[in-house]
Amino acid sequence: MNKYLKIFLILVAIGVVVGGGAVYYIFNMPARDVENETPAYTLNAEVLYTDFSNNEDAANLKYGDKVIQVSGVVVDKITEDYQVSITLNDEMEGINCAVDSASYVENKEFFDGLNTGNKITLKGKCDGFDMIMGVVLTRCFLINK
Amino acid sequence: MKFKSLIFFLIAFVGIANTSSVAKQITKSGVIEIFSETPMFTIEATNKKVASILNPTTGDIVVSTLVRSFKFKEALVEEHFNENYMESAKFPKAIFKGKIINNKDIDYAKDGSTNIILEGKLTIHGTTKLIKEKGSITIKGGKISAKSEFDVSLAAYGIKVEKAYKKAIKDAIHLKIHFNFSPYAKK
Repeated sequence: MNKYLKIFLILVAIGVVVGGGAVYYIFNMPARDVENETPAYTLNAEVLYTDFSNNEDAANLKYGDKVIQVSGVVVDKITEDYQVSITLNDEMEGINCAVDSASYVENKEFFDGLNTGNKITLKGKCDGFDMIMGVVLTRCFLINK
Repeated sequence: MKFKSLIFFLIAFVGIANTSSVAKQITKSGVIEIFSETPMFTIEATNKKVASILNPTTGDIVVSTLVRSFKFKEALVEEHFNENYMESAKFPKAIFKGKIINNKDIDYAKDGSTNIILEGKLTIHGTTKLIKEKGSITIKGGKISAKSEFDVSLAAYGIKVEKAYKKAIKDAIHLKIHFNFSPYAKK
């Protein structure tokens, strides 16, 4: 076989493998890795709530879709199947955090033993402000017990 | 403080004369699943952060959630859903305000399941439409749960699908909704 044809075929083969791999990766890109993402903001539950109640649109621009780390006092905890929701600071004017099932499984004992009045730090994705739930964080991971 | 008054307004909206013995019901961890399938493409996502307040006395019901709380299996689809279709930065919320029109058929004091008809205003993507859909209310051991399943048309809510994707994405997205309510305790 011609030497150049051989090199050409090898290059084509590499191109197909790399290109195919890239397409495969993009279509199967795993969900956002909140656990290993550096938080864009680290703050208290009160500060986060106040920012949203003062100017919801501005707060949405600032925190929306960002990973943020929040500390606060637990005022409510609901466990349903493997789904734990923790409300920080105030039941109506607070931060409603949906704990990621991976973090729950990893820290099951801690979350099961968590009581109202306990302090906690969580990291999660800020989805915005809801009229019933307050500020909503999903895919939350435990930072500090 | 502004929001506290909003909550009170909301509670008030859900029931003016609460003379019955059945307390108002609330959930902050309701579930909405969306599903759409074409031979080319499947859209599947779950939102486990759906809030609802139900007044069993009047049948008034409010449902609200944030669009960004929908979790997809594929990150790319989630990104497209938020940025290109729902425009969740501009329209972060989805809200339903309405009532169970056959609320009198439900005996909230007895275990059992009743088919219901929900009627009200659904706001998605900044567009509000009057809807009338079927569902059911189940009472088991004093606990109230609600279920509903219906299709939402993307075009009706001004959600545009590019020509190239028209065959891959159906206009009708199937919604499956499930709430487990708890009595609303005033603190």
